[in-house]
Amino acid sequence: MNAEPAKCPYGHGQKLGRDDRKSARLAEANITPQPGSRVVGDFAIGREVLRSAKVRQAGAHADDTDLSRPDEVSFFFLDGDLHRKRRAAVAGLFAPKTIVTRHHAVMHRTMDELVARLQEGKPLPLDELSFQMAVDVTAEIVGLTDSDSNRNLARRIKSVLDSSLDRKPGRIGNMIFAAKMLLRVGRFYRKDLVPAIAARRKEPRDDVISFMVGENYSRKGMIMECLSYGGAGMMTTREFIVMAAWHLFDNPDLRTRYLTGGEADQSAILEEILRLEPVASMLHRRAVEPQPGVMEEGEVLCVSIREANVDEAITGPCPFELDPDRAKRMKVAGPYMSFGDGPHRCPGAQVALHETRIFLDRMLRLPGIRLVSEPKIIWNSMIQGYELRGALVACDPACPSWYA
Amino acid sequence: MVRVTFIDAGGIVREIEASEGISLMENAVAGGIDAIEAVCGGNCYCGTCRVHLTPEWYERLGGPGEYEGPVIETSGDGHPRVRLSCQLTVTEALEGLVVETPAAQS
Ligand code: HEM
Ligand code: FES
Repeated sequence: MNAEPAKCPYGHGQKLGRDDRKSARLAEANITPQPGSRVVGDFAIGREVLRSAKVRQAGAHADDTDLSRPDEVSFFFLDGDLHRKRRAAVAGLFAPKTIVTRHHAVMHRTMDELVARLQEGKPLPLDELSFQMAVDVTAEIVGLTDSDSNRNLARRIKSVLDSSLDRKPGRIGNMIFAAKMLLRVGRFYRKDLVPAIAARRKEPRDDVISFMVGENYSRKGMIMECLSYGGAGMMTTREFIVMAAWHLFDNPDLRTRYLTGGEADQSAILEEILRLEPVASMLHRRAVEPQPGVMEEGEVLCVSIREANVDEAITGPCPFELDPDRAKRMKVAGPYMSFGDGPHRCPGAQVALHETRIFLDRMLRLPGIRLVSEPKIIWNSMIQGYELRGALVACDPACPSWYA
Repeated sequence: MVRVTFIDAGGIVREIEASEGISLMENAVAGGIDAIEAVCGGNCYCGTCRVHLTPEWYERLGGPGEYEGPVIETSGDGHPRVRLSCQLTVTEALEGLVVETPAAQS
């Protein structure tokens, strides 16, 4: 599955730099920056753009969003002071301490459930298992915890978020899509959001819905925010867990290192996989003021995460090789630009890394765990990212574990 | 270059030559100060780049900024003089700065 080895620019003796990426060729063939935007692939300049106070969100529906009613807009699309205030209001939900003292329990509870299902012996779709983990953890943060069951919540969210995949082009296609969406969003609203809101009106908790209830968000605003979290926290982590599992199943040395290393080493491995296989491929920003040498006023910039993550100025030699020691050696933050940068940088980055780490650690220690069939890698043009479908995993309790 | 001293929770003292114009956090990471984790890469979000200041330095540099304060609060660090090193830009005014790092950042 690996692409042709790229020539190591540093010539490393006789050895050519390996290309360990699984998603690169598909991305190169399909990636479509917003028309008229200028692509920035240089890590340092991309970072300057994303950190600049002179840019605003662009792309991913940002241009069609009505900002005159900020309580109906997800904080994805806001900028400036209001954006920082909204983020600050929920920052505690993502703090490293909260992850350990609160979210770890959810992660392990989900893994208890998934392990029990795997131990029944039948092969199971890996992306369904990873999605359940992503849904449970994000639901805890958002406050979607009053549904009839977590599996039904996952099913309803999936039917909304994955619906873009079966969208047909043309006017009739659009109408059918809109009708289906209305139905699916309505079901999610009635069965998941309404009970969550009612419970928090009675007794506020520490989650996003309690915050929205306290701030009198409109119904539309609440739905938008929940679905934004769904897209941001659930779909992304689902793909990342499958991708990381695929690398670890494929590479026995890496798997041994993963299962014998400590938490910090496990995180370093995952961050390096994410550097090579970023789930989000690009971020768009519009310059509202010029910044000499970086951008002109009015220009739309497309910061290419994929290119920035392999910029040798920051990765060092052999940028396509999976090398978990790279970030430490280069003295940079491990995920490079995979979680974005600046004021919109992913608040859920550490949450995602922890849940992925725990999921894989527990799954890979199961006796006889194996990848029954590899995932098929497809490109989702709506979100401009890869999706991994069809991977099946199974365990055989009669076999010895790779590592107890 | 500006001389900055880091003292970790075990009392081990490390001195670095920090470059002006970039944050104390970036200087610490570049100087191999492992006690500065900085998992969000300097975005004033994760609170894992905390340093503890002496009363004198705290007075000179001032308390946390508007967005820094809540991040420190959610970290649960109860030290009375905490700052995020990613929010401190190194200038010559920091010459001789001595900071302590907490036993754990997360
Ligand atoms: C591997 C998993 C994940 C990846 C690759 C990822 C990636 C990203 C990226 C690149 C951004 C920046 C968007 C921009 O600059 O416009 C972002 C923002 C965001 N992410 Fe994540 N994310 C992940 C997991 C999560 C999780 C688990 C959550 C929540 C539980 C989450 C919540 C958010 C939110 C709310 C934003 C918007 C922040 C803002 O606009 O200020 N993400 N994510
Ligand atoms: S590096 Fe994350 S808050 Fe300073």
